[in-house]
Amino acid sequence: MAEKFSFTINGQPRSVEVEPDTLLIDVIRDVLDLTGTKHGCDNATCGTCTVIVNGRAMKSCNTVIAKVAGAEIMTVEGLAKGMELHPVQKAIAESGAVQCGFCTPGILMELVAVLDAKPNASEQELTNALNKHLCRCTGYEPIRDGALIAQKVVQERAAEPA
Amino acid sequence: MEYKYVGKSYIRPDAISKVTGKAIYLDDIRLPGMLHAAILRPQYAHAKILSIDTSEAEKCPGVVKVVTGEGCTFHYGDNIRDLVPMADKKVHYIGEPVAAVVADTPKHAKEALAKIHVTYDPLPVYIDARQAMSEDAVIIHEDMDQYWTLPTLAVVPGTNIANVYKVRKGRAEDGFADAEVILEGEFNYPFGSCAAIEPHGSIVWFKEDRTIEVWSSSICPFIVRDDLATSYGVPAADVRVHIPDIGGCFGYKSDITVEQTIAWIASFVPGSPVKWVSSREEDFTSTLIGHGIRTQMKIGAKKDGKLVALQVKVLHSTGAYADTGVNVTMAATHNSTGPYEFEHCDLTGYTVYTNTTPVGAFRGYGHQEVHLAIERMMDMLARKLNMDPFTLRSKNYLREGSVNALGEHMWKFNGDVATAAAKVQDVVFGHDKPKEDDTYFYGRGFAAVMKSPKGAPFSTKGCYMKMNTDGSININMGGAEVGQGLRTVVRQIAAEALKIAPEKVRVYTELDTQFSPYEWQTIGSMFTMQGGRAIVRAADKMIALLKNTAAQVLKTDPDYLEYDGEFIFLNADPFIRVPVTELARGYITENGITIGDLAQSVSDARLPRYASPDKNGQGPLGVTYTFGAQGAEIRIEKKSGKILIDHFASVFDVGQVINPLQIRGSVLGGVNIGIGAALYEEVIFDEEGRITNPQYFQYHIPTYKEMPRQTIEFLETPDPIGAFGARGIGEHSVLGPAPAILNAIYDATGIDFCEIPVTPDKMKKALEALKEYA
Repeated sequence: MAEKFSFTINGQPRSVEVEPDTLLIDVIRDVLDLTGTKHGCDNATCGTCTVIVNGRAMKSCNTVIAKVAGAEIMTVEGLAKGMELHPVQKAIAESGAVQCGFCTPGILMELVAVLDAKPNASEQELTNALNKHLCRCTGYEPIRDGALIAQKVVQERAAEPA
Repeated sequence: MEYKYVGKSYIRPDAISKVTGKAIYLDDIRLPGMLHAAILRPQYAHAKILSIDTSEAEKCPGVVKVVTGEGCTFHYGDNIRDLVPMADKKVHYIGEPVAAVVADTPKHAKEALAKIHVTYDPLPVYIDARQAMSEDAVIIHEDMDQYWTLPTLAVVPGTNIANVYKVRKGRAEDGFADAEVILEGEFNYPFGSCAAIEPHGSIVWFKEDRTIEVWSSSICPFIVRDDLATSYGVPAADVRVHIPDIGGCFGYKSDITVEQTIAWIASFVPGSPVKWVSSREEDFTSTLIGHGIRTQMKIGAKKDGKLVALQVKVLHSTGAYADTGVNVTMAATHNSTGPYEFEHCDLTGYTVYTNTTPVGAFRGYGHQEVHLAIERMMDMLARKLNMDPFTLRSKNYLREGSVNALGEHMWKFNGDVATAAAKVQDVVFGHDKPKEDDTYFYGRGFAAVMKSPKGAPFSTKGCYMKMNTDGSININMGGAEVGQGLRTVVRQIAAEALKIAPEKVRVYTELDTQFSPYEWQTIGSMFTMQGGRAIVRAADKMIALLKNTAAQVLKTDPDYLEYDGEFIFLNADPFIRVPVTELARGYITENGITIGDLAQSVSDARLPRYASPDKNGQGPLGVTYTFGAQGAEIRIEKKSGKILIDHFASVFDVGQVINPLQIRGSVLGGVNIGIGAALYEEVIFDEEGRITNPQYFQYHIPTYKEMPRQTIEFLETPDPIGAFGARGIGEHSVLGPAPAILNAIYDATGIDFCEIPVTPDKMKKALEALKEYA
């Protein structure tokens, strides 16, 4: 039986009527038409479906909608403010970390979640976070470069007086 | 050489759409009235289909149509026409389409699949070419003698051999008679999956106006178009194929694969677009896999290390269909010399039908498989000759004056493998190796590599170019962007050729056979070379056209005029000039009368004199090879057998670097794919032909924590064919990792592996056996 679930996604309150065991990724992609979140495997291995739920990176392909009722969700579409890219987007675009781009949305969301929660995350913490994502194109080095550039920008912004 | 825009790093034109989630991939496309397909796969890898009962499935919720292969009368394929869109009376492998459900949602389609009942009569299953070649083997394709093939190919009726390719240079028996040392070895590069993060998929729409519209995550829209036109008897012009952004390819989205199956399904629901996207499991079982190549090699040499004769037998387990594998066998066979000159070659490649998922392209295209053999053999031969392996190699490198296995003369501009090797030797072997300790063995290994431009003689890349009235440029080409960054390359080459800033060059985004210029397919690391040449030709034509119009305006002859990106001017007096912006749509004279042509041009390029093989398998492939060298520094954990790559070095002579950031990224990723093959990756079939590891958590591709430190350098010996001297580099970085790492394992432990992947388990067992032996 379909039920109503409400949540906030990219700052906008939304309600959907779906079966409670519907996967979050299917709601995001098929009900809300936010196709930036990608489907790469079927068992939470590749990480490209990662979104941010209540500030934490979460794989949307093994999360049922019932679990995120009332939550604040952010997808890759929520990162840029109009024409202004999020520093993580800018760094990942410029470091060579984008080739085919299919793993990119998940990596962006992972990095944004880590750096938002902990701007001074150690390189080991960044490594642990990025190790949850498969990339077949880049050999990962440019992703690391992008992550470190992004971290610097995030730290500088945090240091600026509000 | 110094150029203004070539040789500098620019950000990819598609980077922003990809980091904002706005890039459109196949699964992101939604069409009005779109239906969804799910495909039933067999329970047996080789069996006769006795009956299919679809009646229950037809009654399931949301089901529009249930489709089987019954009544399909055509085969398809571009090399050997042995493929069918859906099995009819027989299944040949475990991932083959047997039936399909078309429904309103993917969920409904999948649910109804379970209600289709099929009965089978199982047949023997062959996984390996050697089994399928045995005398009493059951024939997998009974009608193979009726298959159309390219004139250069020939099936061997009454066997499971789809083709035998022979390369003969000199007289191998004389060479071996002359040799003072003979070494033999056998090496296996098992099945792998390209495993791009985006699974393959297609949408096909048979429209009421008798046209067909297709979207696919394919790199060959024109092959898809032409193939569907042939199969369904419509003009090619009436088949429109769109290619959106592609989430990685690495080979297996080339040639025509899933599109024909989706078209077959969609043909039963004319008027509605039908979408199918493979699950990760189907991406393993039912698209294309790679490799499956066993190389038996015999080398004859003189005591001083001079190589004289090479005999190679490539046994290629090509899977249930050979159309996509047969060229891989050929590439493997004629590149089995590696970057070395042998006076006498006797090379034979067997393309063999088996009951696995069909084998097709995998980045490297047959080259990495035979490099595992030749580069391990060079180290082993050096030991046998009691000679330094670098000295042995450098005596025999293909260089100016040598002739390769295909009879092509090598020139200085083909590149400098010796310098590449020396550089790798320096950064990997130029310091002391750590001494064995309680925890680790340490080793270093080397491999020199060469890749041919294996493609097809008719492989052509087209280019349309137009200048707008503000001087900006639109370029439209048929090259598929799979992540390799070709749009950036197009932009930079066009900017250089037209002497304008790259920001003024807008490169095409998607491919669409209705608008895109023809391109055979974007394969073989050939886009920068062939596409680049096409861009330069188009630019030259457009500049000539601007000069013709300007000649009328300036009342002189075109050959007195020069072009600098902004103006056409008189060479004798540059003050006499006209801006290109005033010439772009013809020149509008004082009274409005407009003269001259639109500033637009069309061009194409293919490799020069690329020929079909002659009866000895010889024939030029365009004489453009990229040479390089790679080396690994490794550690082996004694307790676990785990192999860690501490440092990996690659040096390639690429002619000219177009974009330093992108070329490094390409090599970084390619090395990782090579390391994956060497240490982790194998698509495993059980005896019944089932894949036991069709998921990422079972088929391990290298992860972030496993990336090695990499040293990457490029030599720039300009190539005469490629634009601004650039050669192909897309695939080359995958060739060396396996042999370099296996050579390093020997260096560390004295153990010779001839087969990959060397998993911790295998390493540990070998170390234990060594201990017992000692």
